[in-house]
Amino acid sequence: MLRLLSFAVFLATWWIAALLAGGQKLPPPPAVLTAIVTEATSGALFFNLGVTLARVAFAFTLAMTLGTAIGYLMGRMRLANRLGDPWLILLLNLPALVVIVLAYIWAGLTEVAAIAAIAINKLPTAVVTVREGTRALDAALDEMATVFAIPRWKAFRHVILPQLAPYIAAAARSGLSLVWKIVLVAELLGRPNGVGFEIGIAFQLFDIPLLLAYSLTFAAVVLAIETVLVQPFEARLSRWRPRAA
Amino acid sequence: MQLEVDIQHKTFTNAAGERLNVLADFKFALGAGEVGVFVGPSGCGKSTMLRILAGLDHDYRGRVTRPADARIGMVFQEPRLLPWRSVEENVRLAAPRVDEAKLSALFAVLELNEHRSHFPGELSLGLARRVALARAFAVDPDFLILDEPLASLDDALAARLREEIAILVDSRSVTTLLVTHSVEDAVRLGDRLFLLSPRPARILADLPIGTPRSARGEAEIAAIKADVARRINGDCIERDAS
Repeated sequence: MLRLLSFAVFLATWWIAALLAGGQKLPPPPAVLTAIVTEATSGALFFNLGVTLARVAFAFTLAMTLGTAIGYLMGRMRLANRLGDPWLILLLNLPALVVIVLAYIWAGLTEVAAIAAIAINKLPTAVVTVREGTRALDAALDEMATVFAIPRWKAFRHVILPQLAPYIAAAARSGLSLVWKIVLVAELLGRPNGVGFEIGIAFQLFDIPLLLAYSLTFAAVVLAIETVLVQPFEARLSRWRPRAA
Repeated sequence: MQLEVDIQHKTFTNAAGERLNVLADFKFALGAGEVGVFVGPSGCGKSTMLRILAGLDHDYRGRVTRPADARIGMVFQEPRLLPWRSVEENVRLAAPRVDEAKLSALFAVLELNEHRSHFPGELSLGLARRVALARAFAVDPDFLILDEPLASLDDALAARLREEIAILVDSRSVTTLLVTHSVEDAVRLGDRLFLLSPRPARILADLPIGTPRSARGEAEIAAIKADVARRINGDCIERDAS
């Protein structure tokens, strides 16, 4: 109910602003809706959204898997941490644009270059978060697992992983929002399709309804994935915690 | 299981960088099925010794002889349960081979049956300690290590849990080491009492108790307690010396 209300307020504000600013700069909701319907009937909307989502999925999975593994290693082993730390700081502070441009120059305007560039942008934040989680692991529970001779993989699954879960969830949450942002830049710069590419076209043609049509559907997809996938997953992970007020 | 311990030297470097002598010339043996009890002042190095015997600390000079394949059941000072697993899962994780009948019997003795599916966060400290006991017994240990399992419980509950530990130890005849600073626990549970000095810990006295646990009368217990209290100077034992 509250969500619907807040959505209605958003629509109303938009509409009033469109009336004040004039349809040229900010088209009213019906104009954007028409653009969405046109794109949807031609199939271009779904194709471009699908392509972008696939890139997000690949880059996200790659970065999370690698980032979790590297972060765990760096948190557990002093040597790995000392070797990896300068690289981590470099990657953390390297602008996304640099990584994307370099990836396209070195690997060509290919799908691999795009996905790798997005993943590299997300990787360091995942590493840092999981490393922090690994440092916070409870040594007392490790000792318990050792004394009771719980096999390694079982201890990892039941003792280590649940402790890392909030950190992995935090890395996934912040990482996903980062990937949403960067994927469009990567598409704008070097891909012939995807939401970012379409927004680039709309920008060049000054087709503001088209630009908003892609932006808003993209935002809707992100919201849907948050509500349907991310939030229930987080709730499941923390079901053993006493409920917060 | 036979246990032989001969630790010549154990030092510990604290956060400030000071080296502390924790154990020196620490030598004892424990026969199969025997319950040895260490009584000593807080901070004298009892927990450090238990960590060595449990195989958690290898940084010492000396020798600990026990069968390499001995199954260990341990109750730590804190319950050390996994908060994200239920009571039953906590026990089964440590003891994957325990069968339903045995588990039920164990939970019945410790009155945990109605808490099986609860998470540790929902339990009181007394209940959590019982779960830790259940876990240690469920592995059917050859060697049982109890590190102040009854600390910070009220007297009535401590007495009941002590009874339960006695029942479990007697029903399995497992070589047991109990660390406590309560003479009461020591005298009621032990077959042999080792009185420890302040740090660096040494064994001041090795007192066997001839009478089996179940046959000890109140008079005998009082006599042993008085003897123990007399042997240790008063400041080592705060609450039980009276």
